[in-house]
Amino acid sequence: MSLVRAERRRFFKRRLTRWVFPIGLLLLVTIASILFAFHSKPTAEARAKGETAAEAMYQEQVRYYEQYKRECGEKCPEDGWTGPQRSDFRAEDFMPPSFDFKTMYGELFLVWAAIMAMVAFLLGASFVGAEWASGSMMNLLTWQPKRMKVLGTKLGVMLLSVAALSILALGVWTGILWAAGEFRGTTAGLTPGVWESFGLTALRGLGMILAFAALGFGLASVGRHTGLALGAALAVVIVGQVGLTILFQMVRVPFWEQYLVPVHIFAWMNKEVKLVDFSSPETVCDNVGNCNPPELLITWQQSGSIALALVAVVLVLAFWQMRRRDIS
Amino acid sequence: MAAVLEIQGLRKTYRARGGPRRALDGFEMYVEAGQVHGFLGPNGSGKTTTLRTLLGLIKPDSGEMRILGQELPRHLPQVVSQVGAIVESPQFFAHFTARDTLALLADAGSLPSERVDWALELVGLRERAKERVKTYSLGMKQRLAVASALLKQPKLLILDEPANGLDPGGIREMRDMMATLSAGGMTVVLSSHILGEIQLICDSVTIISLGRRVAAGPVAEVLQAHSSGQVKVALETPADLSAAAQVLIASGFQPQLNTDHLTLSGVDKPALIARLLAERQLYVSELTPVTADLEDVFLELTGTAPVPGQVRSVDQSVRPELTPQNGGAA
Ligand SMILES: Nc1ncnc2c1ncn2[C@@H]1O[C@H](COP(=O)(O)OP(=O)(O)OP(=O)(O)O)[C@@H](O)[C@H]1O
Ligand SMILES: [Mg+2]
Repeated sequence: MSLVRAERRRFFKRRLTRWVFPIGLLLLVTIASILFAFHSKPTAEARAKGETAAEAMYQEQVRYYEQYKRECGEKCPEDGWTGPQRSDFRAEDFMPPSFDFKTMYGELFLVWAAIMAMVAFLLGASFVGAEWASGSMMNLLTWQPKRMKVLGTKLGVMLLSVAALSILALGVWTGILWAAGEFRGTTAGLTPGVWESFGLTALRGLGMILAFAALGFGLASVGRHTGLALGAALAVVIVGQVGLTILFQMVRVPFWEQYLVPVHIFAWMNKEVKLVDFSSPETVCDNVGNCNPPELLITWQQSGSIALALVAVVLVLAFWQMRRRDIS
Repeated sequence: MAAVLEIQGLRKTYRARGGPRRALDGFEMYVEAGQVHGFLGPNGSGKTTTLRTLLGLIKPDSGEMRILGQELPRHLPQVVSQVGAIVESPQFFAHFTARDTLALLADAGSLPSERVDWALELVGLRERAKERVKTYSLGMKQRLAVASALLKQPKLLILDEPANGLDPGGIREMRDMMATLSAGGMTVVLSSHILGEIQLICDSVTIISLGRRVAAGPVAEVLQAHSSGQVKVALETPADLSAAAQVLIASGFQPQLNTDHLTLSGVDKPALIARLLAERQLYVSELTPVTADLEDVFLELTGTAPVPGQVRSVDQSVRPELTPQNGGAA
């Protein structure tokens, strides 16, 4: 398995790996640290301050209400509003926010997955793209002429390395957020069920990261250049996404959001996304007589299948080309 | 002696933008074990294409190839560890050091890491091995390329223009290195445009033009077969040169009068000249066949000698007729 070792060494020796991953990690650390900094534990003093502030706000609102009553007198509309309620003014709203690990961590998986997916796309694309562009692929093939094996090993090693880096990043991310829960909020309510759900979300996140890595790898290999993968990504974002949005809004395609990549990323990470077509003239009524605009549910299974098919097509193309083409 | 490299009827057509381009058209080549074999041809004649095809980088349309008796490209994986190659100034990853570059290749080929230092030493790069390839000069990159080909300690070494960018000292070192390697039993195939160099180090040559072989064999034989039978004639009394010219013209030769000698072409038996002149009391002091050098032969065979006032396009060279062996009609 010397080829595996060579590729692994090559991956971690690369300048891009040594720059892009730390930058991604730094981004995650920064975001997590900001979350940490802007939350704090509810101390007795802070609670007292919050109570005072809530009470003061309540009193002020009551004063406004009474003044309003005086001014309109008889002409006041009979809307059944009896003025501000004390229970609406909670001390928590007047205290620095505290970090609830259980809800926050679950929602923030997307941040980790999105940042690492970008890192993975870049690393995957440049790992093979630079190899083609520099001519060292040709060199390598004079050492190991089995092309499928060479490309397959590269892909495998790249995916495993990206997975390792992503898990490392998740560890750091989790560590800081956990600390935020411990010191700036609460880590209560973490039942085994919650952990299981975290685990599954993390796995889906990892799947997404690896899909992006493989996509970058496949595109760069087909185009024999990192630039092709980056260009394709840019084209999808600008032409595909921005352009489609404008076009679809003009011609009123129902549920046009389903053609946008971020919608599927959300669906994948949050298990589903419900699209509502407010612009539709029709409504859907249930048997009780409640009528709503039509809805479309996108599940993570659907988004996942689409992504899998796309990645598979690109990789098949890359390997098929590798088998056939003249290398010069 | 056993052939280390055999090529027969090799054809390759590139699909290029300007239509199909026939780079190899029934090419053949044989290299015997232990030889240093020169592979010559004008620009675009198909040398690099041949070497790439051998290494499995390009798929030929048809033809047979063997290295060390193994059929290619089918058995390439079995022989690849015995074949070290550089193909037209290979490019390396610019941000890796020379040592890393070679170490990664050694890893890929399951070679011991001591080989890396050995190869670097051999090409004189040991001192600068920790610097990034990006900072290397052209010749240093070329040396690194040669080191990468030597790393396997191969039985067959294929070098496509290895002298490209080397300094005179480097060229001489390369020559000595090849002599040593070939003395140690390595077979070397060397493509180069520096014909003086080829003549000095090669045992045999193959000359290619427009994808077909125009000449092959030991250097001396190729030179002899294609020297045009010219002889140089000098007389004991140079004043008699024009008299001698008259005599020879009378005998049907076409001598060329130079300041101190005559040159004759189409001479089969030089002794005849001496006798003809001696009969008229003209005594020959020197009668030597004019040896063409490899450059002359090359230019003649490929038809690429420059003609004053004419610009030759790259693809303008001799396309020899196909012989029965390389797929032509018998
Ligand atoms: N990838 C390619 N696509 C199309 N045509 C090619 C390709 N590579 C080479 N050729 C053509 O094939 C012919 C042979 O090229 P090759 O590189 O084998 O020549 P060469 O003998 O190595 O020349 P040089 O001495 O200049 O290195 C040329 O006409 C060239 O234009
Ligand atoms: Mg060439």
